Amino acid sequence: MTTIEKLNGIFRTVFDNDEINIQPEMTANDVDGWDSLSHVNLILAIEQGFGIKFNQRELMTFKNVGDLLRSIESKLG
Amino acid sequence: MTNERLLPTPDGQYNIGHICTRLQCDRGHASKTAMRWIGAHGEQAEYTFGDLERESSRFANVMQSLGFVPGDVFFIFLPKMPEVFFAFLGALKSRLITGTLFSNFGEEALLDRLGDAEAKGILTRKSYLKKLLRIREKLPTLKCILLVDAAEHQAADILSLPALLREVSAEFETPLTPAETPSVLHYTSGSTGKPKGALHRHRSVLLQHRTAAEVLDLRPDDIFWCTADHGWVTGTSYGIIGPWSHGVTQVHFGGAYDAAKWFEILEQYGVTVWYTAPTALRMLMREEPALFARFNLAKLRHICSVGEPLNPEVIHWGRKVLGKDIYDTWFQTETGAIMITNRPGLPIKPGSMGTPLAGIEAAIVRDDGEELPDNEQGNLCLRPGWDSMFVSYFHHEDIYRQKFKHGWYMTGDTARRDSDGYYWFMGRSDDVINTAGHLVSPFEVESALLEVEGIAESGVIGAPDELLWEKVVAFVALKKGYAWNSDLELKLRLHISNRVSTTATPQEFRVLEHIPKNKSGKIMRRVLKAQYLGQDAGDVSTLDI
Repeated sequence: MTTIEKLNGIFRTVFDNDEINIQPEMTANDVDGWDSLSHVNLILAIEQGFGIKFNQRELMTFKNVGDLLRSIESKLG
Repeated sequence: MTNERLLPTPDGQYNIGHICTRLQCDRGHASKTAMRWIGAHGEQAEYTFGDLERESSRFANVMQSLGFVPGDVFFIFLPKMPEVFFAFLGALKSRLITGTLFSNFGEEALLDRLGDAEAKGILTRKSYLKKLLRIREKLPTLKCILLVDAAEHQAADILSLPALLREVSAEFETPLTPAETPSVLHYTSGSTGKPKGALHRHRSVLLQHRTAAEVLDLRPDDIFWCTADHGWVTGTSYGIIGPWSHGVTQVHFGGAYDAAKWFEILEQYGVTVWYTAPTALRMLMREEPALFARFNLAKLRHICSVGEPLNPEVIHWGRKVLGKDIYDTWFQTETGAIMITNRPGLPIKPGSMGTPLAGIEAAIVRDDGEELPDNEQGNLCLRPGWDSMFVSYFHHEDIYRQKFKHGWYMTGDTARRDSDGYYWFMGRSDDVINTAGHLVSPFEVESALLEVEGIAESGVIGAPDELLWEKVVAFVALKKGYAWNSDLELKLRLHISNRVSTTATPQEFRVLEHIPKNKSGKIMRRVLKAQYLGQDAGDVSTLDI
C-alpha cells in the first residue's frame, strides 16, 4: 500500500466517508467535516497510523493534503 | 410590546419569506443586490432581491407539488450555499415549520432532531446522504429527502431538487400569514435530556427587523456580513431575516475560517457592518499584526459580536488594530433576537453585555423569585412577551413551561447588573457548555461515550479556555480488562465527532476509577469541574461514590 493510499484510508475513517479520494491539492474546503476540531482527530489518526509525531511548527505549515503527504513521507524516510 | 410601525405590514402579512423577498421587490429593490456569494474556492455570484423572490418562490412551489402543507416540518442540512437561503425563504413562504441543522452534525444528532420534530422532509446533498440513510428507518414520518446536487431522482423518496425546480413556476403568491403562525425551529441543547426545538413564529421578524437597525445599525446602502452558520439562530435571525427585511445587501462566504481570506472579503467587498463571534475575533488576535496592515478597511463602520462573552482584551484589540469598537450583543435561541446589548449611542464598558433594549424588561432574580439589587449575582431573567419570544419547545410543552417562573423567563444564564444598569455575564445556572458559541449538552456527549466498547461510565464538563471560552472535557471510567491508550482516545474522539458533532468532541480526556454520582445516580459534574480546576468540591455528603 502506498503512503497516499494509507492516508486516504485514514481520511475515510476520520471523516466517516468511504467516497473520499484525496488529492495533493485538496484542502479543508474540499472535504465535508474537515474543520479545525476534526483536524485534531486527523492529526492524531495520522500519527498513530504511521507511527510518527508532528511538532507544533510542522502543524502550522500544512495547507493542503500534499503538505501532509510530504511531511509523512519525510518522516518515514 | 409590538413594533408594527417599524415594519409596515398594512395587509397583515407577517410572512418572513414574503417580507425578505417580494416586499423588497414591491419597494423597488428588485434589481438591488441581495447577496454577494463567495464560494469556498473563491467563485462568486450575485443575487438580486428579484432573484431571491423567484428562487424562493420556485422552492415554495416544489414543496406544494410534493404535498407539503402548512405546519409540516422541513429541515435544511447543508453547508452554507445559495440554495440554503432560497429553500429557507421558500419553505417559510409555504408556511412550513423550517429548521436548520449544522452541517457537522453526526447521525445521532440528526436522529434526535429529525425524530423529535417528526420531520416530513429534508434538503441535503449527496455526500451527507449516508448519515441520513443510516437512520432512515427510525424516521417514519420523513417522506422525502431532497438533494441539491443530484441531476435526477435517486429513488421514490430521494429526489433531485434541480429536477423538481425545472417543473415549477417562479411565481408564488404567499398566503396571508398571521403573526402567530409557526415559522423557524432551532434545536438547542440542555444539561439533561435530548436537545429541544425552540419554535418561533412569523411575528419574530418585527424584533429582528428593529434590532438590525438599532443594534447592527444597518442602513439602506450598507454591505453586511454575518459570519454565523445558518444552523445557529444568529445565522437565520441576522444572516437572513433582519438584514433582508430592510433590503440590505449581504455578503455570504462558504469557506472555512481563514484570517487573510476574511480580511480580503472585508476589504474587497466593502463590508460596512460585520457581525461575528468572539472565538473568531480571538483567533484573529493571534495573527501577526502585519497581516492586518495589508488591508484597507476604511469602509468598515460597525462591528458586533455574539455567542460568548466578549472579553475586554478583544475590545482593546479591536480599538488598536481595527480602529473600531466591537459591540457585544446577547441573545439566545429562545429569545430569537437581541435582548441585552451594547449599541451605538451607549458607551461601552468592556466586558459588559450592555443594557436591555427599550421595551425589554430584564432582572436579576433569586431562585425563589425575589428580584436582587444591583451588583448581586443571580438568575438572568426576562419578562415574557417580546415579539421574537419562542412559543414552545416543540412537542415538549411541559419543559417549555418550566422555563417560566414567578412571571419571568429564566434564561439559564447568571449575571449581575451594575448601578448604571449594565449587565455582566457570570456563567450558566446549569451544566450546558458554551464552546465557541455553540451550546453542547454534557448529557449528549456522556451518552455517546458510553456507546464505545470499554467505557463503563462518563461525565462531561465545560472548562475555561482562552480561545473557545469553554472547552469540552470528558471523564471516563473503564470497564475491567480495558486500558487507556491513544487508540482508545482516538476511537472516542471519532465516535463523538461522527455520531454527535465535531463541536461536541472533547478537547481533553481524563480517566477515573469511578465517575462521582449522588445517591440517585446523577453525575456530579460540579465535583468533576472542581477536581479539574483544582478547587474545593464543596459539600460532597450526598456522593454515592
